[in-house]
Amino acid sequence: MNLSFTPATVETDIEQTSRPSLSYWQDAWIRLVANKRAITSLFVIICLLLFAFVAPHTIWRVKHDIQNLDRASEPPWVNRKALVLSDNDTWNDVVVPDAVGEHRAPTSLEVVGEAATSRVRLMWDAVPNSHGYRVYRNIVEPREGAPLGLSIGVVNESTLVSFEDRLDIRQKPYWYSVVALHEDGSEFDTAKTLRVVPQRSIYVSEALALPGVDSAQPGETVALVWHPLGTDYLGRDMLARLMKGAQVSLTIGIVAPLLFMVLGIVIGSVSGYFGGIVDAGLMRFTDFVIALPFLLFMILFKLMFVPPEGEANFLSSVQDFLGIEGGILAMVVALVLLSWPGIARLVRGEVLKIREQGYVEASRLLGAPNRWLIGRHMIPNTMGVVLVSFTFAVPATIFTEAFLSFIGMGVVPPTPSWGSMCNDGIRTMETYPHELLFPALFISITVLAFNLLGDGLRDALDARMRSSE
Amino acid sequence: MTEAIRTPKSSVSTSSVWQLVKYALLAMLLMFMLLVCLHAVTLRLEIGSESNAAVDFARNSISLNLGSEPPQLDSTKSTDMVSGQVLGHVMEGLIRYGPNNEILPGIAESWEVSELSATFYLRKNAVWSNGSPVTADDFVFAWQTALDPETASQYAFILYPLKNGEAINTDGADVEDLGAKAIDDFTLKVELEQPTPYFIKLLAFFTYLPINREFYDSRDGTYGTSVEDLIFNGPFTVSKWQHGSSLRLEKNVDYWNSEDIKLDAIDFAYIISDPNAIINLFATKKIVMAGLQAENIERALANRWPVKEHVDGSVFYLGFNHREDRPTSNRNLRKAIQLVCDPEELVYKVLKTPGNRPGESIFPVWLRGVNGYFRDEYPAPKHKPDPDLAREYLVRALTELELSSPPQLIFLTGDSEFSTKHAEYYQSLFKENLGIEVRIDQQIFQQRLAKMTSGDYDIVAAGWGPDYDDVLTFGDLFTSWNANNRGLFKNDELDRNVQIAQQSSDPKTRMEAMNRVQHILYEEAAIIFEYERGSNYVADDRVQGVTRRVVGTDPDYTRAYIVDKAKE
Repeated sequence: MNLSFTPATVETDIEQTSRPSLSYWQDAWIRLVANKRAITSLFVIICLLLFAFVAPHTIWRVKHDIQNLDRASEPPWVNRKALVLSDNDTWNDVVVPDAVGEHRAPTSLEVVGEAATSRVRLMWDAVPNSHGYRVYRNIVEPREGAPLGLSIGVVNESTLVSFEDRLDIRQKPYWYSVVALHEDGSEFDTAKTLRVVPQRSIYVSEALALPGVDSAQPGETVALVWHPLGTDYLGRDMLARLMKGAQVSLTIGIVAPLLFMVLGIVIGSVSGYFGGIVDAGLMRFTDFVIALPFLLFMILFKLMFVPPEGEANFLSSVQDFLGIEGGILAMVVALVLLSWPGIARLVRGEVLKIREQGYVEASRLLGAPNRWLIGRHMIPNTMGVVLVSFTFAVPATIFTEAFLSFIGMGVVPPTPSWGSMCNDGIRTMETYPHELLFPALFISITVLAFNLLGDGLRDALDARMRSSE
Repeated sequence: MTEAIRTPKSSVSTSSVWQLVKYALLAMLLMFMLLVCLHAVTLRLEIGSESNAAVDFARNSISLNLGSEPPQLDSTKSTDMVSGQVLGHVMEGLIRYGPNNEILPGIAESWEVSELSATFYLRKNAVWSNGSPVTADDFVFAWQTALDPETASQYAFILYPLKNGEAINTDGADVEDLGAKAIDDFTLKVELEQPTPYFIKLLAFFTYLPINREFYDSRDGTYGTSVEDLIFNGPFTVSKWQHGSSLRLEKNVDYWNSEDIKLDAIDFAYIISDPNAIINLFATKKIVMAGLQAENIERALANRWPVKEHVDGSVFYLGFNHREDRPTSNRNLRKAIQLVCDPEELVYKVLKTPGNRPGESIFPVWLRGVNGYFRDEYPAPKHKPDPDLAREYLVRALTELELSSPPQLIFLTGDSEFSTKHAEYYQSLFKENLGIEVRIDQQIFQQRLAKMTSGDYDIVAAGWGPDYDDVLTFGDLFTSWNANNRGLFKNDELDRNVQIAQQSSDPKTRMEAMNRVQHILYEEAAIIFEYERGSNYVADDRVQGVTRRVVGTDPDYTRAYIVDKAKE
């Protein structure tokens, strides 16, 4: 019997039941990437950062504080064609002889020259037995017996039959009415009404100052500078202001949380790690800070940072030295000093928990020094919580900044912030909604994006959630 | 959520997104329905509650808003427009203004005026609301109280035309020396310090109102602070005063001319200062009048509300700080700034409300001159913005000031939204044309006055409303002795001309002196004329007989009445 034992071929290819070893952060990153909403939000946030810090220096170099009162409160879709008018565009009053006849209102009312946004010139024929005229302007057609609209001028001579309107004329239909006056200033019972649609206008000198315009003759049309998101109430470019506002809002929104996170982590970990009387003392101090009213503090800070004229103090000189525009430093300092307790409590709780864990005990028994315990166990294990609360602190801070600027406690004009832009826009909400809409939209998008990213990060980083899978 | 993470491409995540969208839509729909329901309910409630309607036919009363609460209603201490308005309804002085600013007899039935004195004969049927008659002594007492330095009345200066008035207020003379004496209960003799041609016009001002001596003394220092601490001699009485929320006036049946008074009550049902809130009250027919800001004019027009106009008589200007340590004490710098300012652009493009007039002079157009209007007889200085010339002045100013670059200037202004906009306009104007940086300093009114007094500014946005119907109410503003000349402008020629106007009784001499004043102010660029304020408002056309005034009670509802348009 020849027993020959041939060694069985060793199955070297043992079934792999484990996935490749991943570090905590790699694992978290994979989870985050798998979360579409979080990744979209991350993308949006990157876009916003580019919008705030790169775009103003590359794509859109328009200055945010250049006013153009002729183009105030323009919506984005406005017609940019403008009629060129002569620089010496003056007009003399029209005087006619006394009128004869029976008519109680002018029989004719006409526009002299072009109806332009810089002026609308009206002329009518005289009314017998009148002592003057009153000119009205309306944005809806006046009905029989209803008010004629806005009284924009009075002529005190019955033979003076012209009027030049220059009051904030826009490109839209107006109904002008002229009514004759009695000697005591009361009005005749009938009026003559004319519908006028003024055309946007620009003077030759202004036209020549436009980019890309070499020559302009009265009567020609030129295209005005493009404002993609319209202009605000002083004719400043909305896009440039939104970019500048994004800088302010995002800077405050990121710098302030970073600073108060550091403060909170230091206080929280010291408190948790050492425990005892240190812990008790620090936590009571934390309670005290939580009880401080934020708004009151903000007002006090603002007074310190923006001191009464002529008396620069230490804080304001720091501010000038750093070249930070009005009110921003005050807001950051107030936020840092008053927002750290939340994160301090969170970190303290985590540290207390980790301190009692078996592996920490084991490490300690094996002779690990304090710095190893802190560096290897405490900090990495609290990082997840810290990062998550950071992403939630950013939108909260942006919102606080917007709120403060909205109530006028934030940035100092002419520095815009989204909040102060909303505040400016809300007054004209019914007539020029774009002035409110855009900054409000930016605040909403930013806050939403940071919140969704925070949500995703929490899901990706939270150890407890991972174990429940 | 965890599902989505484990299998990123599974359909679960898409369907959960859809679910989310569905919930969101549903929530929005519910919210919308809730809003519609609430709106319907409030509409119904408004129709049901007649009591706080703008016009109450059953009670013959109207409702109004007060822009702010009167600090108190003691006429010797009042300074603000709102107190003036309420006092004008509940008190009456020696004279009152009629609907066209004509002088009508008030408590004084008749009077005789000579150059340095006046005698008033009081009507015997005028009584206080506690029944005691209004006597000459009540006037003497009120004037003495206002001039008494202990009262610290800010408007004491308006009594200075009375003999010894200024001496009592500033030099500690005895109040009994005042040039106003009660000959008997119904005869008041007044002596003047110097000829004051406009003295009669002054008498409608609230500091000249009478106060019942007995009642004042019985209140022990609380006079004017609440309904219990007031008595009245005017067309109405204050019947309810809830501090901070409302003030109600009822017709005074004891008023000597009460048959002229048609309304039974005027209810200042709201004390609100936010313009948008006020407009909303008008839109929901809660009040009969509301001021219109530029932003609200289109809304008013689109709703076809009757938009009216009122020129309140005030002039607004940029005041300079003329103290020597300030760059604005340099005339060339002021001229440079003056030459870049364009009042027309300000009115047409920044203020944007009709009624405002581009400012050309310290004297507004409505002031009377010798025969007609002052400004028709003495045209204002001609102003044409000229940035190039302005820069030449700036260069000269910088040499004189020994500066290498334009100085930063502090622009002191109010704390309202309008002030911000207005200041930003100048900030950009000065920066672009002159390279001058402007720092905006926004302060509440009291603080602003304090800073103006201490000289803590370079440029201030200021305004002045007339106290009486004469050119001097504006003309003496920049004299070296006027406490309101807070920029400390000093010009001997101007001082001299104001003295001429104060002492002369010849209209032509006076007006010519005032003409010099307006030219000096322009040539020296002591101030920059901005605009004469006109405001727009909407008013319920069921209320008639309301008078708007430049000087005196404004708006005046004392002779108003209501008409029922539905019944006509």
